[in-house]
Amino acid sequence: MLNSSGPKHSPGGHHCKTCARPSPEQPITPGYPPAVLCLRWGSVPEEVALFHLRQPSAPQRDSAAGQSQCHSVVLIIHSGLLLRPHENAGSCLATVLYRRTKSPPVVNIKCMQTKDQKQIQEEDNRLYQKIRHQTKPIIGNNIPDSYGHIEPALEPAWALAVTGSSYMMWEKSTESLGYFLAQVKSVKQWVNDFIEFDYTVLLHEVPTQEIISCHMRLTWLPGHPLKVKYFCASENQGLEDGSGMESGSAAGILHGRGANF
Amino acid sequence: MTQIQKSNSELVTQHYLGKTTENRTMYYLQISQPSDKIKKIIWMDCGIHAREWISPAFCQWFVKEILQNYKSDPKIRRFLQNLDLYILPVLNIDGYIYSWEKDRLWRKNRSPHMNGTCYGTDLNRNFNSSWGSIGVSYNCSSEIFCGSGPESEPETRAVAQFIKNKSSDILCYLTIHSYGQYILTPYGSTTKPPSNNEELVGQHIHLLQAVTCGTSLFTLLPFLQRKMAAAALMGKYGTSYKVGATSLILYSNSGSSRDWAHTIGIPFSYTFELRDKGTHGFVLPPDQIQHTCEETMLAVTAIIDYVDRKYFPGGAVMLTASSLGLSLCLSVILTWNVS
Repeated sequence: MLNSSGPKHSPGGHHCKTCARPSPEQPITPGYPPAVLCLRWGSVPEEVALFHLRQPSAPQRDSAAGQSQCHSVVLIIHSGLLLRPHENAGSCLATVLYRRTKSPPVVNIKCMQTKDQKQIQEEDNRLYQKIRHQTKPIIGNNIPDSYGHIEPALEPAWALAVTGSSYMMWEKSTESLGYFLAQVKSVKQWVNDFIEFDYTVLLHEVPTQEIISCHMRLTWLPGHPLKVKYFCASENQGLEDGSGMESGSAAGILHGRGANF
Repeated sequence: MTQIQKSNSELVTQHYLGKTTENRTMYYLQISQPSDKIKKIIWMDCGIHAREWISPAFCQWFVKEILQNYKSDPKIRRFLQNLDLYILPVLNIDGYIYSWEKDRLWRKNRSPHMNGTCYGTDLNRNFNSSWGSIGVSYNCSSEIFCGSGPESEPETRAVAQFIKNKSSDILCYLTIHSYGQYILTPYGSTTKPPSNNEELVGQHIHLLQAVTCGTSLFTLLPFLQRKMAAAALMGKYGTSYKVGATSLILYSNSGSSRDWAHTIGIPFSYTFELRDKGTHGFVLPPDQIQHTCEETMLAVTAIIDYVDRKYFPGGAVMLTASSLGLSLCLSVILTWNVS
C-alpha cells in the first residue's frame, strides 16, 4: 500500500532522506483532505496510525550533538471529513528531519492516492454547490457546541475550518509543540464569487495544554488551492473582535502569514 | 449520587472526602459487598481536568454497570468478594461547573491567585511526586500551573490524605482523563522505569490483534496486564489505545496523581486518556459517549480482574507465570519487538 521506495540507510545510522518540501503536484484541497494534519507530532487526526520505524535515532530526545532528530510517520488521508467520514482518499509516508539549527524541518512525503482525481473533483464541486446554495450566508458559534454537536447546516463550514486549521497547525508546530483543533469559536461567511470564511478557531497546544485563539481567513474555489491567512493571539492575550474588518475580499487584510496550498 | 446510594443501599455508600476551593463538598462512592472478609481497595477518580467531560461520564457509567450487573455477572461477583471499589466521579467540581457555565475549555480548579486576577491550579501537577520539577509552570496564567506548593489545593489534599490513610489496602489507582487514547503508567517525571514496570507495561510484547470474549484474558502471562487492558478495549469497537510510560510516549510532567500513587506504594497505577485522538478532542460527539464508556469498562474490569486474581488466587482459574492457556474466544498474535 505504501510507496516502496523507503528511507535509505545513511552512514550515521539515520534512516532519513534529505528532501524537498511537499511538491506542487500534491495540492491539498478540501475533498483531498488535510494531510497536513498528520505531519507533526501531536497534530494527528483520529484514525491516523502513527508508526515510528525502528531506527537508532528515534524517538530518543538526547541525540548526539550535531546529529538530527528523525521521525518517520505513516499517514492515512481522509476524505470529506464530515461529508463522508472514514473514507480514505489515500495515504502518505513522510519523514520529518529536525536539524539542530532553527531552520524548519526537512519533510519528505510520498503519497499514494486511492481515489482518482475525477472523484475528488466531483466531491469538491458537490461541497462548493452545497455551500453556494445556502439561502443565507453561513454564520455560527461554538462548532462543535459544548456537547460535541455540530448543526448539519454548519458541517461544511466546519470541514473547511479543519482543513484550513491543519495548515496553520503545520506552520506553527515544532519538534516540541503540537496542536489540535479544539473548537471553532465563530464562523462568518463573506458572500462573493469565492467560498470565503472568517473564522476564530481555538487550538489546543500540547504539551503546554494552552488554548490558542487564532483568526483565520479562508478562501476557496474548486480546482484552486485553498488560501489561508491567519493570525494567532500570543499567550495570555485576547484576540480583538474582528467584526470591524472590511467585507468580502480575498486580498490580504490580516497581517499574519498566509499560504496557498 | 445520593439517589444511587438510596436505590442500592446494600452495596453503595456515599462518603465525605473534603471540600473544594469554592466550598463545594466532595463525595466518593464506596461499592462494597457486605461480608466478613477484609477487602482490598480499587480507587478510581474522574474529572480532575474540567474540560474532559467524557471522564465523569465514564465514572457514572462504571457505577451504573456494576450496580446493574453485580448479581448476574460472575466476573463482577468474583472481584467484589475481595475488593471494594471507591469511585470519585468528579474530583475538580468547581472547574467542571465553570466549564458548563463560563468556559468549555477550562482545565484547572478555581483557586484565586494574585489578588483574584488569575485563577486555577492544574490539579494533576499539584501532587507530591517530584512536584514542580518538569512539565509545569510556576505562573498562574499557565494551564499547567503546579500551584504554590505540593498539595496546595484543597481538592488535592482531600484525595491525597484519604489515599495515604488507606494506602496499605489500595491495590490499584485509576485516574480517568481525555483525550488521546492512551493507557499510561508511571512515571511522567523520569524515564527511569518503576520497579514493577514489567508487570505494568508488558515487556516488549506487542499484542497486534485480540478478539476477546471478556473473560478469557486472565490466562495470559502476567506482564501482559496493561496490554490486556488495551486489547480488551480494542476488542469491543476496534478502538486502538497506545500503552506505555508517560515520559516515553507522551511528555514529561511532574506532580501527577498517578505518579504520586505509585510512589507511596500503590502497585498498580494507571492514567486512562479516553477518546478521541484529536478530531473532536474535548468536545466528543454524543454518539460516541456510550461506545467509549463500554470499551473503557472492558479495560478497567480487565485490570480489576487481574488484580483480584493476583492477590486473591484460588478458585477455578489459577494465574501462573508460565501459563499460556488461550481460550477459544481469544486469538492473539504476539510478536517480539526486539529493540
